[in-house]
Amino acid sequence: MMPEPTGVIHDIGYRHYEGARLGRGSAFGALMLHSLRGVFGLGRAARAKIIPFILAGILLLPGVVSIAIMALVKQQGMGYSDYASIMQPVLAIFLAAQSPYLVAPDLRFRVLPLYLSRPVAVLDYLGAKLAALTIAMFLVLAVPLTLLFAGELLVDLPGPPHTAEYFSAMGGAVILAVLLAALGLALASFTPRRGLGVASVIAFYLFTSVVSIVFFGVFMSIGRDVAAKWAMLINPFFLVDSVQVALFGTDPSNGEGYPPGLWSCLFVLMAIVVALAGLFLRYRKAASS
Amino acid sequence: MTASATTCIATEGLTKRFPRVTALEDLTVTAGAGVTGLVGANGAGKSTLIKILLGLLPATSGRARVLDMDTATQGVEIRRVVGYMPEHDCLPPDVSATEFVVHMAQMSGLPRTAARERAADTLRHVGLYEERYRPIGGYSTGMRQRVKLAQALVHDPRLVFLDEPTNGLDPAGRDEMLALIRRIGAEFGISVLVTSHLLGELERVCDHVIVIDAGKLLRSSSIGEFTQATQVISVEVEDGLQPLADRLARVGEAVAVQGRTLTLQVPADADAGRAYDALRDAVCDLNLNLVRLEQRRGHIEDVFKEPAA
Repeated sequence: MMPEPTGVIHDIGYRHYEGARLGRGSAFGALMLHSLRGVFGLGRAARAKIIPFILAGILLLPGVVSIAIMALVKQQGMGYSDYASIMQPVLAIFLAAQSPYLVAPDLRFRVLPLYLSRPVAVLDYLGAKLAALTIAMFLVLAVPLTLLFAGELLVDLPGPPHTAEYFSAMGGAVILAVLLAALGLALASFTPRRGLGVASVIAFYLFTSVVSIVFFGVFMSIGRDVAAKWAMLINPFFLVDSVQVALFGTDPSNGEGYPPGLWSCLFVLMAIVVALAGLFLRYRKAASS
Repeated sequence: MTASATTCIATEGLTKRFPRVTALEDLTVTAGAGVTGLVGANGAGKSTLIKILLGLLPATSGRARVLDMDTATQGVEIRRVVGYMPEHDCLPPDVSATEFVVHMAQMSGLPRTAARERAADTLRHVGLYEERYRPIGGYSTGMRQRVKLAQALVHDPRLVFLDEPTNGLDPAGRDEMLALIRRIGAEFGISVLVTSHLLGELERVCDHVIVIDAGKLLRSSSIGEFTQATQVISVEVEDGLQPLADRLARVGEAVAVQGRTLTLQVPADADAGRAYDALRDAVCDLNLNLVRLEQRRGHIEDVFKEPAA
């Protein structure tokens, strides 16, 4: 005997969507969140999570070690303002490894036309990608800084807490995140292949840091110290550090100091504008094809 | 405004010139609700027309309206209520179909929970079940085409543009895709503009067919007028093709033997049922083993041959 059927599946056919249709702002937010999750490999295979989390973990390490030093010998470990400069190779690798993910697959697998056939303009798309990478770069730097600060407060070092230094370092982290995100996206967007994108971003970092070291060494050896300080600014990390020095009055982390004045602020702005212009031109071409 | 209520697409003297090639030339067509086929050889300007209708490409001259909105000025509004399935591959391999379609629904402005619900519904309608949780990279061409279709339908558009949806599919996959397109137009109540280079394929699902060649309108008419054209029935039997041909010729049918198949021409004004009956009786009386009997699919070339009515 068959038991009486207790449930029936009905094919209710196609149902129209009567609910809300939100504007461009919500699509922008959704794309930004989707991209930000993607930078850390969330919502993707376990393989995609390995590199971003290892790198973010390495960026945390000095903070953890510093807290330990503070707890044991009651002395400040690593400073706030030079955290980014000291960890610059790791930040550069993170940028190189993760920025191509945001732009290359959409170009390579031609997903871009699907975005553009929706109420999403090229500028919305680029803005969301840029915002996602900026937030990601800020997070990997701001989380260790905040951890360090929290550690310092908990350990309760003798003397006043370094609150001003912490906030200037956070300000510097915002500037660095915007600059790195703009540069990283612009470099990565020129090739639809992820590997080449990674290589071009890392090559850019190595190139600027080597060039700045070589010029610095040459100018120092012939006794032109002022020119040597200008040469330091070729490296984007020291460029942002010099902005930090100029705006917030922190100690320079390169040990030599930077040229005086707000020139470095102008250079940062110019670098961001050039990167964004390149990115926009690249996508104007990609969108029309 | 009864005219605009039923007109989905209207172009007026639409011309698009690229630096080295003219893609569309003085194209004036209208398409109403239901399934409209856009037929043309490769490079006839079908994809260019769709891009202009989506408001993504400015026309050199002329005007186009989609759902009574101007493509030149109301592109964003058009793209909010229109779906688009491109001809080319457009799927990232490392995400699942569900996740991708949910994301695309959100890009069309659906809130997250609604996007999830709609994505599940739409994937079921296009015929993707358990496999929708696996990464798209491992899908067959047929499954990819379904995901592409799902992302075009997920925001419940009023009109979808399907660019060569049967491309790369095997015969069974083609039939399923065509049945799906028919359902979208009839059951879902979404108007469809579907392109193909095979007229015969579209004949089976369209209410109206527009034929363009080298950017010019060749013909635009309802499907009824197309089927009035000469039909060709092709027959294959195991043995005795010649006796069958002789017998059919005797009863006055226009037959020809081409290799292993026999073709039977039915003039436009004749009753096709009578030809089928004569063929059936002949096969029966001669006691032949029938292997294949089908209405031969018309090709774009047929339209070129006959004078435009």
